[in-house]
Amino acid sequence: MARLSSSADLKKLRQEILSQRDPDRPCVTICSGTGCQCHRSEEVVDAFVHQIENLGLQGRVDLRCTGCHGFCERGPIVVIFPQQICYLGVDTKDVSEIVSQTLIENKLVKRLLYKDVETGQHVAYENEIPFYKNQKRIVFGSNQLIDPKRIDDYIALGGYFALDKALFEMGRDKVLQVVKDANLRGRGGGGFPAGIKWETTRNAPGEPKYVIVNADEGDPGAYMDRSLLEGNPHSVLEGLIIGAYAIGSHEGFIYVRQEYPLAVQNITIALEQAREYGLLGANILGSGFDFDVQIHRGAGAFVSGESSALMTAIEGRVAEPRPKYIRTAVSGIEGKPSTLNNVETWANVPLIINNGADWYRSIGTEGSKGTKIFSLVGKVNNTGLVEVPMGTTLREIIFDIGGGIPNGKKFKVVQTGGPSGGCIPESLLDMPVDFDKLTTVGSMMGSGGMVVMDEDTCMVDVARYFTDFLTQESCGKCVPCREGLRQMLNILKNICDGRGKEGDIELLEEISEVMKDASLCALGATAPNPVLSTIKYFRDEYEAHIQKKRCPAKVCRELITYYILPERCQACLICARNCPTGAITGGKHLIHVIDQEKCTKCGICFEVCPSRFNAVVKLSGEPVPPPVPKITKPILLVEDEVIFRESLRDWLTEGGYQVTTTGDGEEALKVIRGQEFDTIILDLKLPGKDGIEVLKEAKSQKPSLKAIIITAYPSPETATEAMKAGAIDYLIKPFNPEMLERVIAGVTEAKAEVTPETNER
Amino acid sequence: MSEEQIQILSRLQQNSNLSKSDILLRGLEILGEYYSLGLDQPPLSLELRNLEAEAMHHAEALRQIRKKEDAIKQVIQELGSVDKAIDKYQGSKSALIQILLDIQAQNHWLPKPALMWVSERLGVPWSQIYHIATFYKAFSLTPRGRHIVQVCLGTACQVRGAPRLLDRVMDVLKIKPGETDHEQRFTLTTVNCLGCCALGPVVVVDGNYYTRPSLKEIKQIAASYE
Amino acid sequence: MESIRLEIDGKFVEAQEGMTILQAARGAGIDIPTLCHDERLAPYGACRLCTVEITKDNRTRLVASCVYLVEEGLVVETNSERVNKIRKMLLELLLPLAPTGPLESLARKYGLEGSRFTAEQTSCVLCGLCVRYCAEIKKANAIGFIGRGIDREVAFLPEVAPKVCASCRECFAICPGGKLASETDGVRFPISIWQSKQELR
Repeated sequence: MARLSSSADLKKLRQEILSQRDPDRPCVTICSGTGCQCHRSEEVVDAFVHQIENLGLQGRVDLRCTGCHGFCERGPIVVIFPQQICYLGVDTKDVSEIVSQTLIENKLVKRLLYKDVETGQHVAYENEIPFYKNQKRIVFGSNQLIDPKRIDDYIALGGYFALDKALFEMGRDKVLQVVKDANLRGRGGGGFPAGIKWETTRNAPGEPKYVIVNADEGDPGAYMDRSLLEGNPHSVLEGLIIGAYAIGSHEGFIYVRQEYPLAVQNITIALEQAREYGLLGANILGSGFDFDVQIHRGAGAFVSGESSALMTAIEGRVAEPRPKYIRTAVSGIEGKPSTLNNVETWANVPLIINNGADWYRSIGTEGSKGTKIFSLVGKVNNTGLVEVPMGTTLREIIFDIGGGIPNGKKFKVVQTGGPSGGCIPESLLDMPVDFDKLTTVGSMMGSGGMVVMDEDTCMVDVARYFTDFLTQESCGKCVPCREGLRQMLNILKNICDGRGKEGDIELLEEISEVMKDASLCALGATAPNPVLSTIKYFRDEYEAHIQKKRCPAKVCRELITYYILPERCQACLICARNCPTGAITGGKHLIHVIDQEKCTKCGICFEVCPSRFNAVVKLSGEPVPPPVPKITKPILLVEDEVIFRESLRDWLTEGGYQVTTTGDGEEALKVIRGQEFDTIILDLKLPGKDGIEVLKEAKSQKPSLKAIIITAYPSPETATEAMKAGAIDYLIKPFNPEMLERVIAGVTEAKAEVTPETNER
Repeated sequence: MSEEQIQILSRLQQNSNLSKSDILLRGLEILGEYYSLGLDQPPLSLELRNLEAEAMHHAEALRQIRKKEDAIKQVIQELGSVDKAIDKYQGSKSALIQILLDIQAQNHWLPKPALMWVSERLGVPWSQIYHIATFYKAFSLTPRGRHIVQVCLGTACQVRGAPRLLDRVMDVLKIKPGETDHEQRFTLTTVNCLGCCALGPVVVVDGNYYTRPSLKEIKQIAASYE
Repeated sequence: MESIRLEIDGKFVEAQEGMTILQAARGAGIDIPTLCHDERLAPYGACRLCTVEITKDNRTRLVASCVYLVEEGLVVETNSERVNKIRKMLLELLLPLAPTGPLESLARKYGLEGSRFTAEQTSCVLCGLCVRYCAEIKKANAIGFIGRGIDREVAFLPEVAPKVCASCRECFAICPGGKLASETDGVRFPISIWQSKQELR
């Protein structure tokens, strides 16, 4: 790679790269972000390589591993260029078909295309898929067009031209002015105007000045920065160099959490390649501007994502935040002026330089310009990374792009801003999302994490989860945060376990106020937000837990019991077989009962009970009904055919019934006189007294006796006669014994329908 | 250090332009030779004595090393790789966390001699290193194996025979929960509930789930991880 | 050194540039309670007891007076209702850790009769005075912090302490929680982290 030593060299290089690329040549691109790699996209890549080789297509078909596409729910994603046909959920066994059908014969493999849930229509092109159509992917969109390990791909798209323009056409002052005019606000959560921060560092006394990329993304559920750094590291680097130039900094740091190995790898490669081209290092592009970057890995602490803590970590110390009154823009790393910005913030800079402040201001709202990348996760159909203009409503993001809530469940809240944010209920779904609006309702946009939760979520449990997270991540230096979280967690755990007391909610609010006012840093000051916002919108849930020991969403293990509804149980034994503690009793035809002493609330019975029965329910705050008494209905079976009589008797006895048998009608009547029976099963064709006779006499003796007629010879007349004589049912042999059992149990009311033509029901 | 020792040290430094830590390293090497000659009770400075004690402690724990001089050799080797990590960052104090990350990645834990050496070389107080090693979750002060084995002891698995499964796993791996084998292949831990109760009892190795394995299967599983 | 004029509790105070509000207040005879502060050590800002309310350009904020530098025209309230509420809660949170000693009397001063909270009684409020004294004054670093969050602890370092502590013990006198004061029979060390947990087979 020849070193570029002027603006002209860069332009020439781009020409060369483009001239060697044929835009009409087929290219198979496979998403290789961490998400798709978990779906084994690397194996898909190998399969394509082999298939292309086998068919002798190398040299005629290109292959590119790209950065994250964002539609992570449906990975691995393969896009075929030049048509931009998009295949979702591609497996290795689909590869040969794709190669032969699409690459060679130019035909679509329909089953791999996106299919609209409502219309059933297939969508072939990536940008027409509803998930993508409603987005504005000015920052993230390039991911799918480049291989992050090849700088030439980035240059081919126009990469580093913003740097060129900044160095040779604009100059430091103009660059700073444009970024200020564009009103680029920090994307890491703080929303502070980047231009003003840059200016502060530029004007602050002291050398050297530092610029820092904060890639310590710690909010659970947020992974935008990871995908940007993995998928398009040069976009971040270019922005950083431009910023360093405007500020007058010659040394930069990229702080990446060590849990992101692919991001560390790709940014390392990007730095090396940029240095080789002279886009980084001494005398960048021959401009006389020197600037280089070091990568600094995190070591597993959420708090190190806080700007001042991050700088302390770069100094090789424990990541303890510093008081905010000493601005790091003035006194940061080793007391020198340091500007820290988030990955996404830096990635916006080249766009602003290339297209101007006016263009940037045309997107977004009055106070929040540009777009924002959100990670839309949780109970939502289309999980993934979404980029929309500021001001897009929550409803549009969650429903139009996200496709709504799966499994027909109802939306409950969306949690934004991670552990520093709060829950937003349905009534506020039309709220536009930007830096300022969400704070008015007790939450914040934060770094862009959006966790959708449905009706099966317990809000107290959510508050407990976030408080538990923060308790583990607090640095522990200051009293309000460390001790406040310790006690809040204690109270919340007690509430979830049914040990909540009157006054707990007020105590939580009291502790929260002091944490907000007196904490040393933003972790402590915003830690109460999840608790406060859930109390604000779901106080009733807290009260139910405390006063009635009830979890309305039926989540908190200590407050729920599993119960099998006897009227719905079909005694199929599935739950009993799957219960890990053997807590379910019941036979093949016996209603199942859960022994609450043995039950561990694992929930398996709830999951495995067939959905057409839905017999297992969760109860909370109500007493468990006493178990249904065992069915021991005494049954009299009158059937003259011995083998049939004995097998039917055995079958019924297994089912828990007490069965007496006789083969004779007179005998049967005698027995009825002496003993109480619940049901009589009467064969029609009997020796001696005829079945119908027996039926009439039996009914006159014992009117409450339930009679079921069984016969091999159906006729509409006898059926009518039997029903008139008081039989509750009429079964024709051969009949399904389970049907008989249902009739006996009184579960279904099956009325005999005998038609002359058929012998069956 | 005694007055005498200080004088010897400064003479050594003057004569050879060696740093204090270089001298310590030389001291260790000489100590090793001393022991290999079958000699005993060498005169030692406090730091050297500390390093020697750590070497012995370390060797004892690793149980592979029987002779004093081998223990010293082992430690010198470890210190060498620490030096490499330190040189990678030009001995900069602010690279402390990066250096420790490299040591952790290489050894799967932070051995004490390595940390003492970092403190010596970089001139960073021991208290700072201790705090960093216990503050950040990426670091482990106890040896961890290359593969983490988790046996679920949640109630559902418990009732399905998890304790017996644990016994079998302990027999095969020859370690107890919380321990790591001397080759640092496996670290055995128990967890409270992995949430897959229907599959119980369950053993997870590096995120791979194995349900109700027999003793034979456990042996096969263990053999498949290097 | 520029002279700076500010108002504390309605009183006009002259301070020097580079002073903290705490220094200026104490210099003017106004006392602000502290726990983790010591004149001889760099300000730490961990206990937050010294929180005060400041107003500047019509904007009111709460800040830790031990680290906030004086500014021209600053209006400071050291005893407002909001500030006292904060101090009371902070003390209530700390009391279970160290129920007797200096903390007890301070708590009573703010109207606390005990605490609604429970926690393990460690006799250590993690103020860091001992750690900082040993590092900044004695330059020995024989005692230090370990761990993070609620697992944060103060520990004598067995690798250093045996050599230097027995003849020093100066940190005992500055401990407000009572942990060090209780170690009067020689210095006891917690089991070394390595020794307690290292279990290789």
